Amino acid sequence: MRILTTTIAIAVGLLVLLGYFFPQASVFQLILLDWAILFSGVAAWVGIFNLVMVHADKVRRNAKDSVYSAILILGLLVTFTFGLILKPQHPYMQAFILNGIIIPVEAALLGVLTVTLLYAAIRLLRRRSDVMAIVFIFTAAIIFLGSVTLPLGDIPILGTLIRPWVSQIWALGGARGILIGVALGALTTGLRALFGVDRPYGGA
Amino acid sequence: MPVSLDLITGALSFLFTILILSYLIGDNPLFKIAVYLFVGVASGYVAVVIFWQALYPKLFLPLWQVALTADINRGLFLLAPLLGSLLLLFKLFPGSSGAARIVMAFLVGAGAAVTIAGALSGTLIPQVNATINFFDMRSAAARNISAFEALGNGAILLLGLVTSLAYFHFGARQRPDGSAKRFGLIEWIAWLGRIFIGITLGVIFAGVYAAALTALIERISSLVNFIRVLFGIP
Repeated sequence: MRILTTTIAIAVGLLVLLGYFFPQASVFQLILLDWAILFSGVAAWVGIFNLVMVHADKVRRNAKDSVYSAILILGLLVTFTFGLILKPQHPYMQAFILNGIIIPVEAALLGVLTVTLLYAAIRLLRRRSDVMAIVFIFTAAIIFLGSVTLPLGDIPILGTLIRPWVSQIWALGGARGILIGVALGALTTGLRALFGVDRPYGGA
Repeated sequence: MPVSLDLITGALSFLFTILILSYLIGDNPLFKIAVYLFVGVASGYVAVVIFWQALYPKLFLPLWQVALTADINRGLFLLAPLLGSLLLLFKLFPGSSGAARIVMAFLVGAGAAVTIAGALSGTLIPQVNATINFFDMRSAAARNISAFEALGNGAILLLGLVTSLAYFHFGARQRPDGSAKRFGLIEWIAWLGRIFIGITLGVIFAGVYAAALTALIERISSLVNFIRVLFGIP
């Protein structure tokens, strides 16, 4: 089983990768990616089914907060049933589910983040007042003060000179370092999976 | 008065915004109801989108067409995705979840290849090119930027890039007492990298905070607007 799974992972990986470099191999690449999209969809369904099972078990055991689990299952089943019948693009699905529940809840949760982030920033200064924390808060303050429009107008120099310089040069250098670091990490992880060194699908 | 679709959407939006914002006075049952319902509804919506965007056009519809036309060649071509999908369902049963490993290996292989190509063509090459272009004097002159300014800014950017990368270098030498310490030069460069990462995170924090503040203002504005429309306040 271990040899079979490793061979499948390496063969599929190489065929998909070859499609990026050789147009002749792109036919195989498209078919394999099509299957990968389908399998990812089935895997997501398995995950959602598992979520239902976990919460149904809580309801069955009458565990603490099981009423919330029942609400979750009810919401999921109603949305799923109507979505299957009406399709996601239907005006009722858009109005009730997307614009009535999902988008307002996401926006409100993002709004709640203003208080949480402010609290986290204050806690950071109280608990860890090292160079990095001070630089972090000082930079955030410069960006805020440089962006804000006061009744008397923008703050001179800070808004027109310092804020763009900090965000477009100093921060960009660090951001590029982080981005390139993340890309190098992703590249290494991908190569390890492709060479069969890492086998996250099991059979290590 | 006929109940319009917009009114119901507005009422739902109003209700859920109030329930979520109630978290500002502390964790409470109303907030939990909204969050659990949100998770359920969002999961159901995702499941439906997956069905109509992936499962139906890539599996069920072709299978239905094969059943209607009795096209054996096309049917054989659909065998692999059908078998793979069925094997994945074994993940639901802990005792036989090993059967899904073949499909998981397929997904890992395809994912690794896409990740490698994406990291190379989407991040590494464009970011390195963009950094090199900072030292392009002709391009700087065309934008009325002096050579001194372009070189200075390019040097700061390059310094930030190199030192931030060095911060994530965790290679260390073991001391006689068993503790680990990074090489002296790397340690010094990494300290400088911390300053740049602190600046970057500060700018990102300000951006996220501004976005969160905008969302809060939009929600409060929608609450006010709904009440105004409902009671006909101009």
